[in-house]
Amino acid sequence: MRSARGVRVWLGAALAALGTSLAGQAPVIPGAPTGQAPAIDLSGYWTPALHEDLMERGPGAEIADYGGFPLNEAGRLWALSYDPSRVTLRHHQCEAYVAPYQMRALGNFRIWEERDPHTQRLVAIHVWAQTTEGHRVIWMDGRAHPPAWAPHTFRGFSTGRFVGNALVVRTTHMKNGALRRGNGAPQSDQATLTEFFTRHGDHLTNVTVVSDPVYLTEPMVRSSDFARQPVDPGAWLYACDDGEQILDRPDDAVPHYLFGKQPFVNEFSTRYKIPLAAGLLGAVTMYPELGPRLSTATEAEGRALLSPAAGQAPETSKATDREPRDGEVHVLPVRDNVYMLVGDGANIVVQTGDQGAFVIDTGEGKLADKVIAAIRGLTNKPIQFIANTSFRAEHTGGNARLGDAGQDPSLLGSFFVTAAPRGVTGAFSDPAAHATMMAHVNVQVRMQAANAPAAAVPADTYLEDRRRKFHNGDAIEFFYQKDAVTDGDSLIHFRRADVIVAGDIFTTTQYPVIDLKNGGSVQGEIRALNEILKKTVYRHQGEGGTYIVPGHGYLADEHEVLEYRDMVVIVRDRVKAMLDAGATLAQVKAARVTADYDTQYGANTGAWTTEMFLEAVYNSLRTRR
Amino acid sequence: MSVTRTRLVIAAVLIALSFHARAEAQRGGRGGPPTPPSPRGAAPVDLTGQWVSLITEEWRQRQFTGAKGDFGSLNVVLLPPARKVAASWDPARDEAAGEQCKAYGAAGVMRLPTRLRVSWQDDTALKLETDAGTQTRLFKFGPPQGEGGDWQGLSTASWDYPQAALGGRGFGPAPGGSLKVITSRMKPGYLSRNGVPYSANAVMTEYFDRFDVPGGDPLLVVTSEIVDPEYLATPYWTSQQFKRETDAARWRPTPCAVR
Repeated sequence: MRSARGVRVWLGAALAALGTSLAGQAPVIPGAPTGQAPAIDLSGYWTPALHEDLMERGPGAEIADYGGFPLNEAGRLWALSYDPSRVTLRHHQCEAYVAPYQMRALGNFRIWEERDPHTQRLVAIHVWAQTTEGHRVIWMDGRAHPPAWAPHTFRGFSTGRFVGNALVVRTTHMKNGALRRGNGAPQSDQATLTEFFTRHGDHLTNVTVVSDPVYLTEPMVRSSDFARQPVDPGAWLYACDDGEQILDRPDDAVPHYLFGKQPFVNEFSTRYKIPLAAGLLGAVTMYPELGPRLSTATEAEGRALLSPAAGQAPETSKATDREPRDGEVHVLPVRDNVYMLVGDGANIVVQTGDQGAFVIDTGEGKLADKVIAAIRGLTNKPIQFIANTSFRAEHTGGNARLGDAGQDPSLLGSFFVTAAPRGVTGAFSDPAAHATMMAHVNVQVRMQAANAPAAAVPADTYLEDRRRKFHNGDAIEFFYQKDAVTDGDSLIHFRRADVIVAGDIFTTTQYPVIDLKNGGSVQGEIRALNEILKKTVYRHQGEGGTYIVPGHGYLADEHEVLEYRDMVVIVRDRVKAMLDAGATLAQVKAARVTADYDTQYGANTGAWTTEMFLEAVYNSLRTRR
Repeated sequence: MSVTRTRLVIAAVLIALSFHARAEAQRGGRGGPPTPPSPRGAAPVDLTGQWVSLITEEWRQRQFTGAKGDFGSLNVVLLPPARKVAASWDPARDEAAGEQCKAYGAAGVMRLPTRLRVSWQDDTALKLETDAGTQTRLFKFGPPQGEGGDWQGLSTASWDYPQAALGGRGFGPAPGGSLKVITSRMKPGYLSRNGVPYSANAVMTEYFDRFDVPGGDPLLVVTSEIVDPEYLATPYWTSQQFKRETDAARWRPTPCAVR
C-alpha cells in the first residue's frame, strides 16, 4: 500500500515536471515532414460569411462582368462565348465546382482530421462543402502529387503543410470549370491552386491563389471568411440527377454565342453606368490603375474586346506536357485489371486476367521493348490480343514487336487456323508465335496500302458497327466510328471495368486530328464524341464513373470528353457561320475562330497545327454540308 | 519509505530543473534579468513594405462609386437606420462640408483601391499609410493612447497567436502569428463610397497576415470585423488582400474624393 502510493506520487511529480518542461517547447510530430510547423485545429462546422460577392455567390454574376479577373484574351473570349443555357445539356447539369470556387460556395462546410489509428500522425484534413457535396482531401503525409497523365477531378489533388499560423495547401489536377459563377469566366484544367487557411478564434479565412497559364495573365487571389458554428446544421447534401431539359434537341447542339454576338453584353455596363471595357480589360481591373486606365477607354475599345484581336498569329498551348518523354514507359492503373501505359507515343491500354493480355494500341514502337517489359510486369500471361483504335502510326508502331512477343493460345489446334487470309499477321497461320490483332477492316486496308509489314497488320477485322468479345472476365465491345478522325476508328469499351478507349477521337492535348484524306470529318468527329457520351455514367456530381483513355493526354472521364465535344461543336459552328457568309479559308484563319481554345490546344508547329485543324473543319463542311 | 522519499527528491529536482530551463529560455541565455523584447523585436512576421490592393471581390462596388442605395453585399448586414442615412447620401454636401474623406476612414479605406506603406514609426508603433486619400493609420502597441475622434480613430496593436483558455500538457507555443489591431473612436464615416455609414461607436478588429506564395509575390491579407450596433445587424466580416510591390514609383498619393 505504501509502495503503491509512493509510485503514484513519483509518477505525478514526474509528469508535472515533464508537462512543465514541454510547455516551453514546440511539440514534435512523429513522422511529420521536416520543418513543418505543428498543426492548427481547423476542424468544426463552418458557415461562409456572405459579406462579399453575395450576388455572384448566390444568383450568379452578370454577363460581361469580368472585372477583377486577370483574364487573358482566351479567357475573356471563352467567357463571352458562353451561353448560360449550356447547363441545360444533360452532361453539364450536375457538374461540381472546382476547388477555388468551391471555397466561395454557399452552404455549410465541415472540416475534420484523419489520423493514423496507430501513430496518431495527421494523415489528411478533409473539407466537406454542402454545395455540390464537395469533398476535398488535403493530404498531410508528405505524399507526392500524381503524374501529369493521372485523372483530374473538380476538387483536384491537394497536399498541405503548416507554415507559421497557416495551413498552406497546393492543389493540382483540377478539371476545367468556372472561375466565376454563371457568367462563363473559365478556369482551365491546367490551373494550380495555392491556399492559406488561417484561423482567428472562430473566424476562419481561406485565401486562394489560382495560377492558370491557359486563361489568366497573373495569379488570381481571393479570400473567403467562415464563422465557426457550434451545432451540426444537419444539412450536408446537394442532390442532383440529370435529365432532359429540352426535348428533341440535336446531339450536336451546344448553346454558345459567336464572337461579337453576345446579345446581353451591354446589360452590365449600361445598368451600372460604367464603360463596357471596364469588365473586359483583364488584370488592370484588379488594381488602383483601373480608374486612370478607364479615363481613356472608348466605346470602340470595349467593342473590340468582344472579338479576337485581328492580325495576330494564333496563340499556342500553354498546357503542361502531359506525356513523360523521359524514355520510359509508365504504368497507370485505371480500374480493376485495366492499365494505361504512357510514354511511347499514343496511350496504350492493357487488360490482364487469367487469360492472355488484351492490348489496345501499341504506341509508336520506339519503346516497344519497354512496353513489353511493362506488360510482363502486369501479367505472366502472353499478349494474346492486340486491338487498334486506328491505323495511325502512333497507335500501331509497336504492333509487330508486341505481336511477335505474344501468342494466341485460343487458336492452337483450331480447326480454322489454316483459313487465315494470306499476307496478313501470322496469328491465324502461326498462333503460337504471334498475338492476334484486331481492328476495323479499314485499318487493315489503310496499313496494307501504306505497305506496312505484314506482321504489323491486323488480321482479325470487323466490318460493321460493332464487334464484341468476352475476355479476362469482361465484355469488350468495339464500336466503329465511320468518319471521325479517319474512316477506321474504333471506340473500345470494357463494360465491367467501365473503361472506354477512345484513340485519337479524343485527346486532352490537341485539336482532333481530322484526316480528311483518310475519311475523317468534323461531323463524324462530333458524332463519335457523342457516342462516347452516350455510354458514360458519372459516379457523382458529373465526374468519375466511366473512365475514358484518350489517344494522348491524361486519363479522363465524361467531363473532359464533354468539354472537348463542346469545343469541336463551337469551332464548327463558327467556321460554318463564316462559310455560310461566303468566307474563304484564309478569312476563316484570319478571324482566329479558335482564339479561346488555342492556349489549351493550339500549335503553330509540329505534326498538327491549329491552321491544319481549321483547314480540316472548313473543307469538311465545304464538301459535306 | 526510503524509496518513496528518494522518488520525491528526484521529482522535485526534475521540477526545479524544468522551471530553470524555462526561465533560461525566457531570458534568452545566462545572466541578467529578463528583458522583454520590444513589439518590433518580437514581431513574428514582417509586414513592412509597399503593398497594392487586389480588388477581386465586391469588384464593382469597390472600383466604382455605386448609385445611391446600391449596397452590394452590405445588404445583408445593414439595419434600417443605416439604409435611411445611405438614402440621404449627397456627395456635394460632403464636399461642401469639407468631409471628402468620409470613405477614407479606417473602416472604409482598407477596401478602396489603394497602395499601403507599412513601416515602424518606432519600436512600439507601426504606421500604415494609404496613397488613396493620403491617410495614415498608427498601430500603437500597449495601452491605448490618445483620444481618437478623427477618421482613423484610435488603434491598439498586439501580436496575436492561437491561444487556449488553459494550457495543456505537451502543447507548445503557437507558431507564426498575426498583427491584431483594434480600432475604435473613429469619426463617423462610410463603409462604401456611396454613403453606407458607420457610427462613432463602431469597433473594428483586424488581423494582418502575411502569406508567402511559393514562386509568387508575398500577400498581405487583412481580415476584419466591424461591429456597429447603431447601423449593423451583425458583425461585418470581410478580408482584403494586397500584393507586395517593389516599385516605389507606383506610390501616388491622391486627395480624398467623394465620387
